[in-house]
Formats: sequence, C-alpha cells, structure tokens
Amino acid sequence: MATGGEIPGMVPEREDPVPPGKPMSVEEQLLEKGAAMLQSLKPVKQMSQHVCTFALYGHDLTRQIETHHYVTRINQDFLQCAVYDTDESHGRLIGVEYIISDKIFETLTADEQRLWHSHAYEIKSGLWVNPWVPDMVVKPELENLAKTYGKFWCTWQTDRGDRLPLGPPALMFSPQPGMVRPDLVEKRDKTYNISTHALKTLRVEIPEPAWINPWADYWKQHVEAGKGFAVEVQPAEMKKRAPFP
Amino acid sequence: MERPTQPVIPVEPKKTTTSLIEKATGTIQGFSPVNKIHQHLCAFHFYADDMNRQVEAHHYCGHQNEELRQCLIYDSPESDARLIGLEYIISEELFLTLPDAEKPLWHTHEYEVKSGVLFMPSVPGTLQRKDLEKICNTYGKTIHFWQVDKGDNLPLGIPQVMMALTRDGQLYESLAQDVEKRYGLSFEKERENRAYMEGLKHGIHPLANAAGKGLKTVLRETDCKPGAGARVFV
Repeated sequence: MATGGEIPGMVPEREDPVPPGKPMSVEEQLLEKGAAMLQSLKPVKQMSQHVCTFALYGHDLTRQIETHHYVTRINQDFLQCAVYDTDESHGRLIGVEYIISDKIFETLTADEQRLWHSHAYEIKSGLWVNPWVPDMVVKPELENLAKTYGKFWCTWQTDRGDRLPLGPPALMFSPQPGMVRPDLVEKRDKTYNISTHALKTLRVEIPEPAWINPWADYWKQHVEAGKGFAVEVQPAEMKKRAPFP
Repeated sequence: MERPTQPVIPVEPKKTTTSLIEKATGTIQGFSPVNKIHQHLCAFHFYADDMNRQVEAHHYCGHQNEELRQCLIYDSPESDARLIGLEYIISEELFLTLPDAEKPLWHTHEYEVKSGVLFMPSVPGTLQRKDLEKICNTYGKTIHFWQVDKGDNLPLGIPQVMMALTRDGQLYESLAQDVEKRYGLSFEKERENRAYMEGLKHGIHPLANAAGKGLKTVLRETDCKPGAGARVFV
C-alpha cells in the first residue's frame, strides 16, 4: 500500500510545473464569479497573515521546502494555517499546519507531542518572515510565536515532482540550526528583497523560550538512531451501517 | 453532540496588539492563492474505516484549472470555523492517470451530487447545477486532520483518509434533516432536479472508494535521512 516514505509511481513528469488539466473556459470563469458573489466564504476571510518559511520532511531531512502559510488566529493560543508552495495565485495547496501556545502543548500526551515541532529557532534565525511587512511591526507577534509549537502535514509533495497529490500525508518538521540549504534561503531572500541574516541580528532581542519540550522535534532526540515518522495507508475493514460502495 | 476529550483549557481571547498587527498584515500583504477560493460546497464525509462516523464538511474551493480544484475543509461556514481538513477534486481523465496504488485513496462524487446532498449554499439551483454537472464526474481525495466528531478540541492524532457517500441508506437521517432545515432545502427535490445529469464516462472505477473495502492510516517510526548539518547551512 502507499506510504509517505516512497514514491508510489508518479504521473509522467513534464518540464512545466503547472498541474495537468485544461484551462478554464470563459463561461466557466463567469459562472465562478457569479456564484462567488452570492456566497459569504466567511472562514476563508479570517486569514490575516502570510508567512514564508521553510520545512523539512519528517522521514527525510535532506528534503526541504519553502512554504507559504496563510494564517488564521483563532485565539491567543491557537492558529490554523493553509499552506501553499508559492504566494502566487497558481499556488498549490500542499498542506495544513496548526500552531499552539506552549501552555496548550504541555497538556498533550507524549505520543501527541512527538508529532509537533518548536518554532523558536525558525523565528530567531530570520527564516520565518511576513513578506513585505517591516519586522518592527510584527515583532510582538514573533515574540509570541517563538514560544509556540506547530504540527504540519504535507499532502502534496511538489518538491519531488508530483504533478498531483499522491500518497498519504507526510509529517513535516521545522528547521533547526544548520539544516536549511543556503540556496533555498537566498532564492527566498531575493524574491522579497530581504536578508535572513540581517533579520537574525534584528531578532536577537526576541527572548528564547525558557524551555523547549524534549518531545517536540522528535528527530533531534533520535538523530543518532536516524529515526523519524511516516504515515502509511493500509487496507482495513470498514465499519458500516449500510452497503459500501 | 460534542464532548471535549481533554480538559477544556482556558484560552485567552486575542489581545488587542495582536488584532492591530493582523490589521496591518491583512492590509499590506497579498493573499493570492487564497483569493482564488471562490466557492463554498457543503457535503458529508465519513472515515475510510468507519462509515458510522460522519462529518458535515464545508468545502472552500478554488480551481487550479478546469480539471483540478483544491479545497479547504471547515466544520462550519462561520468565522470561527475550525480548519479540519482538505480535499483535492480531479476530473475523471486525471484520475485515470493515477497509479493503481493511489486510486483507493480517492472517492467518487456521482452519488452525492445526484442525490442532492452535495450543494452550494445560497446559490440558485439553475446556477449551481451548471457546476455540479461537472463535479458529478470528478473524484476527490479528502484528508481530515481534526476529529471534531470525537469531540477533540485540538487536531490530535494522525491524518485520516475520508470517504464520501455512495448510495442511499448510508447518511444518517438526522444529519440530512439538520442540513435541510438549516438551509431551507429538500434533498429529494434536488435529486429530481439533477436526474438529467450524466455520470462518469467510464463508470465508477473499481479501485476508487477504498477499492470498495476500507482504509486506515498508521504512524510508522521510520529511518530518517539525516540533514546535512554543515556549518554553512542556515
């Protein structure tokens, strides 16, 4: 059965990174606009931040991606993010990340905690940015987020050339010191005319969390053993109340 | 009804400074990929290993092109809705290009559309049906990350593959009636209106819908390729 750790047999790759499929006709585009005017789309309108950062695959730390998070803050302790592979309109939806405060994280079981990653390094190092917004403006938010933990599932592995979302979701981890390829960071910095290195200096004042729970960032504790996580899909007996399919 | 499975943690409402920062980021930044989301669809999902656990799913969808949509799934259409999962919707042609090992993770939409239970809130029937005609012949891949039907007040555990309704008798009457009442519609009436719709050209693929059986996800501790750790890296 399909696993998150292997390539199950990709659809044929082409040069063009755009997903396969015919473009929309004018009629379709008009229909789309017509219907959109009638619907309220409230949950989606709650997204208030765009964050650009980097993530690593939980089963293969050499695979690293630039991510674009569109963030909704539910309350002071919880955020939910739709994650895309670019901030352009053709961005592919590659997953979901949830972010919780340290207060909430400490209430989780160890089994659950090991699926989460810390954000302190990502933020203090300047890897995590709000494109186009001066750092000073978001500093209080960064101070808050530096103490949070995230859980990120990636459902479309575009970095390996998948032209459609294949396989089970992959658990992602956050960058820790010495993890992210400089060419990825340079490319990102060029796009937004920023310097991650300069941001790191600017953010020196952001307090380090007093403590990062050792159950987070699972691979760090197990780097010698070379252990990580993968989700596998297996056949199962479906409990039913009526015939299926 | 939901019962929290963990102690209800007193959470802080948003601070004023946070709200002000969000006003700034919300104004200055671009939200292009999300601005492509133009459509709200309401439907039901159940767990690929348990049809008895059914969830009302509010899909917020954008087209990548005519044959591929990507949807964020929330547990309600309100501003405090929880992001519980996502779904990709592809044409029959694209589905047929998927490797066989992948096909069972995808489900058909034919029954949901033809029976009326999948609909676009607030959109008149005639307009809705123009798009539903297309959705009728698509396949979907749905993953949920937050098991709200269990009463979880946080997204705990591992992702769940979800399936969609494929015949009469699967959907709980109470869930159906609740939606019909809230939206002032009749699934039965919609079924009549949609009777003209044609189904999948090649029929329901035998490997779709969990290959007609069931699926579950498991977490495996695995060998992890270590990162480089070189000093020159960030």
